[in-house]
Amino acid sequence: MIAPDVLAKALIEFLPRQRWFAAGEAPVGDVAVVDLEVLRRAWPALVWVEARVGTGASGDRYQVLVALRPSGEPAPFLQGHPDLTLGELDTDAGPAYGYDALVDPDLAVELVRIIAPDEDVTRARLVPGEQSNTSVVIDERLFLKVFRRLHAGPNPEVEVTRELFERAFLHVVEPVAEWRRGDTDLAVLQGYLGGGVDGWAMALTSLRDLFAVQETQPIPIISDTDPVPEPVDPSAAGGDFSGEAERLGEMTAALHVAMADVFGRARGDAGVWADTIDDRLRRMQHREIDRDGAQAHIEALRRIDDPGPSIRVHGDYHLGQVMRTDEGWYVLDFEGEPALTIEARRRPTSALKDVAGMLRSLHYASMVAMFERDEEHTTEAAAWEQRNREAFLAGYLPRARAAGVVPDDRAATAAVLAAFETEKALYELGYEQAHRPDWARIPLAALRRLSLA
Amino acid sequence: MSPLTPDDRWYQRAVFYEVFVRGFFDANGDGTGDLRGLTEKLDYLEWLGIDCIWLLPFYQSPLRDGGYDISDFFTCLPEYGDLGDAVQLVEDAHRRGIRVIADLVMNHTSDEHPWFVESRQDRTNPKADWYVWADDDQRWSEARIIFVDTEKSNWTWDAARQQYFWHRFFGHQPDLNYRNPEVQDAMLDVVRFWLDIGLDGFRLDAVPYLYERDGTGGENLPETHEYLKRLRKEVDAAFPGKVLLAEANQWPSDVTDYFGDGDECHMAFHFPLMPRMFMALRREQRYPITEILAQTPEAPDGCQWGIFLRNHDELTLEMVTDEERDYMWAEYAKDPRMKRNLGIGRRLAPLIDNDRRVGELFHALLFSLPGSPILYYGDEIGMGDNIYLGDRDTVRTPMQWSPDRNAGFSRADFAQLYLPPLMDPVFGYQAVNVEGEMRDPSSFLHWLRRMLEVRSHHPVFGTGSFEVLSAENPSVLAFVRERPADEDGDGDIVLCVNNLSRFAQPVELQLGRFAGKTPVELVGRVPFPPIGELPYLLTLGPHFFFWFELVDLP
Repeated sequence: MIAPDVLAKALIEFLPRQRWFAAGEAPVGDVAVVDLEVLRRAWPALVWVEARVGTGASGDRYQVLVALRPSGEPAPFLQGHPDLTLGELDTDAGPAYGYDALVDPDLAVELVRIIAPDEDVTRARLVPGEQSNTSVVIDERLFLKVFRRLHAGPNPEVEVTRELFERAFLHVVEPVAEWRRGDTDLAVLQGYLGGGVDGWAMALTSLRDLFAVQETQPIPIISDTDPVPEPVDPSAAGGDFSGEAERLGEMTAALHVAMADVFGRARGDAGVWADTIDDRLRRMQHREIDRDGAQAHIEALRRIDDPGPSIRVHGDYHLGQVMRTDEGWYVLDFEGEPALTIEARRRPTSALKDVAGMLRSLHYASMVAMFERDEEHTTEAAAWEQRNREAFLAGYLPRARAAGVVPDDRAATAAVLAAFETEKALYELGYEQAHRPDWARIPLAALRRLSLA
Repeated sequence: MSPLTPDDRWYQRAVFYEVFVRGFFDANGDGTGDLRGLTEKLDYLEWLGIDCIWLLPFYQSPLRDGGYDISDFFTCLPEYGDLGDAVQLVEDAHRRGIRVIADLVMNHTSDEHPWFVESRQDRTNPKADWYVWADDDQRWSEARIIFVDTEKSNWTWDAARQQYFWHRFFGHQPDLNYRNPEVQDAMLDVVRFWLDIGLDGFRLDAVPYLYERDGTGGENLPETHEYLKRLRKEVDAAFPGKVLLAEANQWPSDVTDYFGDGDECHMAFHFPLMPRMFMALRREQRYPITEILAQTPEAPDGCQWGIFLRNHDELTLEMVTDEERDYMWAEYAKDPRMKRNLGIGRRLAPLIDNDRRVGELFHALLFSLPGSPILYYGDEIGMGDNIYLGDRDTVRTPMQWSPDRNAGFSRADFAQLYLPPLMDPVFGYQAVNVEGEMRDPSSFLHWLRRMLEVRSHHPVFGTGSFEVLSAENPSVLAFVRERPADEDGDGDIVLCVNNLSRFAQPVELQLGRFAGKTPVELVGRVPFPPIGELPYLLTLGPHFFFWFELVDLP
């Protein structure tokens, strides 16, 4: 229907415009279409394409679902998406224009029918703002996640979600169908958590309420001296998050127990973990880092005899990866840290790595909410973080300890946790330096605090 | 002849108004509200737009439990009036298209009831077996004690009969023995008597406790349901179009048992909803509400939930604190304000800090969530309460009709009033009264009346399906009520969007299913931009709500 080299040429322009394209916006030299299948020949046509960027076997693999409509046919859904067009293309059925098929509701539905022929589907909408994948909500009940960068072997998202769901772990979405080609996962169709809200939005709602309580305290008398508002204890604010945080901790413990049951557990090697963190520290350049302080946590980790078992973990665990629903918390997106290789993402480690991720996220929420309000409310933000940190751990630790997924020894737990919090803050610092320099002070504040501990 | 709607399922679309006769209006100037007083105020209730009055007990009683200790089922409490006054009230109400239901206590009587007086005399009299007697107080120890503050046991020793009698509530309220067919029949006679006079139904008080059985907690027993089915059958046969409203203070999935298969009670209260609305307001997020609605089974065909913001009782926490099924107990225990406010009886306005916007939001929710709304007298003008009166009197102060003497409630001397009207600067009758709010077109009363009118044009609020819409903003509760088109083609789709936050909030709703339709705001009839394929963006002011009808504009 369409010649591979015609597509390859169009993709040279197209790929650098995509958020999911790992090589960034720099022009790419070499794009090859290594595989192609026409999924639908009638207009609008749908063509599955695997492209390799870079030369030889070392190149990155991407999939693009190309839609083709005859030139001149209107496509209202492309409004506001100039990035998603591939331009005019010659086909054996005449001149056409190409674009990313997932933005086209008709073709997204068509794709779901191919992946899951048993599902009765009618309506699709693209989820905006996705980073490394492209997702489409179908009929407000199904969620199609199309991977963009392809890897041989099981995709952790597909693998983990399926295993956990089949072992009756109740806090993951239901896997409905998987789309695979050879040994490569292409897409997954899951249940959609309508009515759900991510943990980040829940946390900010709580923080905004807390700050407002502080701002609207009754003032007994008006006097010449400026009244100093009393700090508000977050437990007295209506939007207290600690109940949610505690239940989130409980769910996280259940997640780790299930992960250990499904994928097994091995004796943790504190030395290996310490090396990984040390490596990250050495690669991180920033003059405000207290290297000795960070190093102390790494060495403390290295000295622990029994750091708890090594298990498969979520790997990129934060408030944006959990959803509050009418049935409690759900955990999403098991793909792990996007910058790592698949092998690194699937590598077992300490469950406390995830815990550290969530604790760092609580700190982020408190700081970001404070930034929203001209950086007032330092005391309340810190008290909120402390309270919810404790609540999360109160939900998590007893259950995790009882199931043996964290060390028995409290001091060991604290040391492992501090080391992984340090690692996470270092990772954040790298990210912020590259993307949001203004926010670098969040991980820097965390590193300072960890140094003092 | 009667302007009452002929529909036997009127209660599914009705708005109820709960009246404490003693506190409503005093027609004879003795300081106590009465049935004639209520009759005189029917014009007001008709103007307000309510469909059914619910009377708290007005039967003969020693009043040791607010009239729930009935000593004669066939006589009115003398200070309220006589049977003729009751008949007059019902007839005058019906003439205005308003129905009247009344509380009926089936589980027990006062210990001054002649049945009990006779029963306790000895073990052989004709009524000896009308109550539940035993030689020791050990039986049914599994049954919990409901009034733990005042009662040590469900058994009380009777010196006259030298036996213990059973009571699930106060020691002066002996439980009737429903295993005795004479008791079953006697209570059916009570029901028939009042329906004959014209009452439109009953709120059945404390209905789960009618029977006892070994090895059980004596609640929700199959025998109890059997008796309710019999009651329903007798009522339907002789008095079609009446309503039985169950007061079963239980978890919604258990309460649905009282609907039977549509062959027990027509209605049942939904208790946990109201405290969760307060929790949602406190938390500024919708989950406390959506969770309980997700756990609420749909009422069977012909049945309906009764929902309320406040009523005459203090909010009992017992049914919101089922730890096994629910996290609310822990949340309550942690939140000092929830504990302080909801454990004691308060009126709505003081509970929400007299915030007009919250009052409107809460009533908008009450009128749009699934169920028939039940208003409590005085809440329509934002009346306050008097926490120094103690117990349930806190919320039973006289209705504030005008800024005149005694709030326009009574021409008696102030000292003669059953309770003093509120006189504080915020909620006192000088500030808050019907006359003032009727004169003021922007008053809460006028707003509420307008909303009732809007609601009355949309039966979908009473009988439509209910679907919560997903919204990424946790502070926004959006849902759709939908009634498919019938033979006449008049289906109805209403979209309700509520902001539970004190801050303005945006929300993007996925309304693709309704693409092509136009949301028309229900109060002002202003068409909003039509729904397309893209998310529908709305912005809501603090504690704001929208009601839209989704229509096909030409």
